[in-house]
Amino acid sequence: MIHDKKAEFRKALREVKNLPTLPGIVAKLSRMAEDPDTTTEQMGKLISKDHILSAKLLKLVNSAFYGFPQKISSLSSAIILLGFNVIKSLIISASIFELMETSDLELWEHSLGTAVVANVMAKRLDITDPEEVSTAGLIHDIGKVAIKMELPEEYDKICNIVEMKQISFREAELLVLGLDHAEVGGWLAKSWFLPKKLVEPIAYHHAPKKATDETLACAILHFSDVVIRGLGYGHGADIWVPPLSKKAFEELGVGADDFDEILDEVDEKLWDVKGFSIDIQQEQEREE
Amino acid sequence: MQVQSTDRVMLVGNVLSGEDVQLMLTASGYQLLRFNDSYHAIGVVLEDPPDFLVLEKGFENGGDINVLNAVKGCLQKTNIPILLVVTEPDISDIDWLVYSVDDFLVQPVPPAHFIARINLARARMARVFDNNPLSRLPGNTSILRTIQDVIEKDEKYGVCYVDIDNFKPYNDRYGFAQGDDVILMVARIMVNVVEESARNDSFVGHVGGDDFLFIVPEDKVKKTCEKMLANFEVVRKMFLSPEDLKAGCYIEKNRQGTETRFELLSLSIAVVLTGVQSFSHSAEVSNQAMQVKHYVKKLAGSNYMIDRRQKRKED
Repeated sequence: MIHDKKAEFRKALREVKNLPTLPGIVAKLSRMAEDPDTTTEQMGKLISKDHILSAKLLKLVNSAFYGFPQKISSLSSAIILLGFNVIKSLIISASIFELMETSDLELWEHSLGTAVVANVMAKRLDITDPEEVSTAGLIHDIGKVAIKMELPEEYDKICNIVEMKQISFREAELLVLGLDHAEVGGWLAKSWFLPKKLVEPIAYHHAPKKATDETLACAILHFSDVVIRGLGYGHGADIWVPPLSKKAFEELGVGADDFDEILDEVDEKLWDVKGFSIDIQQEQEREE
Repeated sequence: MQVQSTDRVMLVGNVLSGEDVQLMLTASGYQLLRFNDSYHAIGVVLEDPPDFLVLEKGFENGGDINVLNAVKGCLQKTNIPILLVVTEPDISDIDWLVYSVDDFLVQPVPPAHFIARINLARARMARVFDNNPLSRLPGNTSILRTIQDVIEKDEKYGVCYVDIDNFKPYNDRYGFAQGDDVILMVARIMVNVVEESARNDSFVGHVGGDDFLFIVPEDKVKKTCEKMLANFEVVRKMFLSPEDLKAGCYIEKNRQGTETRFELLSLSIAVVLTGVQSFSHSAEVSNQAMQVKHYVKKLAGSNYMIDRRQKRKED
């Protein structure tokens, strides 16, 4: 019985088409796309601040049609390869899809914040391409968005349980669906032919010890998720900070002294992000 | 699309016999060759093939198929667009494998439609006919034609030859499939950068293998080259293993056990300016570019080099 249900959820979630985008960002991008002086980089910079558009871009560039399945794991590469015209069409198509509600802003901020921490960590640990890890950070909760869009009834149930039982969103997901958003995100990433470098960190951001190939990236993402929740920037539909895996923490080799440095660096970078977030919210109000 | 020289339209059959058709074709810059029997038509196809073929279906009891095969059977002529003129009741029963044509028209054909279809076929041919099967970029015929066009223009252009360095050892190490992906990657980077820096006044072609070419106005050359190399630097990371990236090179042992050091993928761009020297033929441009390429390939990593040497025309 449980199994049938899980299979049903799986099917519904895999077929998710409408991933809602922030209206403020779409409005800004649409204006940019009309301006002949806009460069691809400028659009790319803005897109890389939105977890949904970024996921869509990665899906596109890794699709069979463009010829790079399971290859492109960094957003800046995706933007260079797709080019202005394709990105412009993507924005036009995003603007007709469902738009995000104000309540989704928290998850957006959380995604952006996770990307910031992941980037700081990846650079510290001398990862060859730190951008890959921050890209994974940006889209790591895509499964949450899919659950909300495709299984609205179950989503409401999950939210109620979170409130009533005072448990984390993930625990409630497991109770209602028998699976969590990380698993869902992992399937999505896989079905979109995203590279393993992205699939594993997304799928295992709550269970980093399950990682087989991308152990370090998974550990970084897991840690970044916990840190940004701890800092209280944005949230993922509950008020809890997820538990930190001891193994992942050891993998990073971060000591107490490093921690202060990391937090300082993150704090500094978050300022930019916060400023941008205010911008976008104002844009949103203007649209409304 | 402008008609450059008088293209010849061969019309085989008894359709479109009105004088207005002839007049309109001529006014649009085409020459009409009308044939009422398939044999004469085939003769002309063999000896002096037209640029377009318009064929009445069912003409002369199989004569139509013969004309068709005369065109399709010859490799050099497979690019000639063929339009089939059919009747309404015929449409659903046509075996398109037998009638391997490019387009069809239904009788009665208004002359304006006829001209429009020919124009469309022409535009489509210019788009696809010698495109590289992997990158789908225009191939050598279009490249040579475009070089010739820009050396005859008053405006100044940069003809830029792009080539992937260390591509052969890359193929040996990562495999041919991955090598093809690198070709595609370079093609997309080029198209996107060129389109953005010089939208309409530009060209990108694929000479073959790991050799490409693009043409932009002279004042856009520097910016376009720099952007292309910068973008390549970003994207190439997706096509190299973390170990190789970290080492910055790789060592391969050959069968004798000797070790050779190979550099990672990079791009070299050799640029010839049409405004600095006067060229009269496209081959002069490519010869000149080969000299520049020789120098730029000697430099380590990704580079571009613009040839600013002035040379008087020797004639």
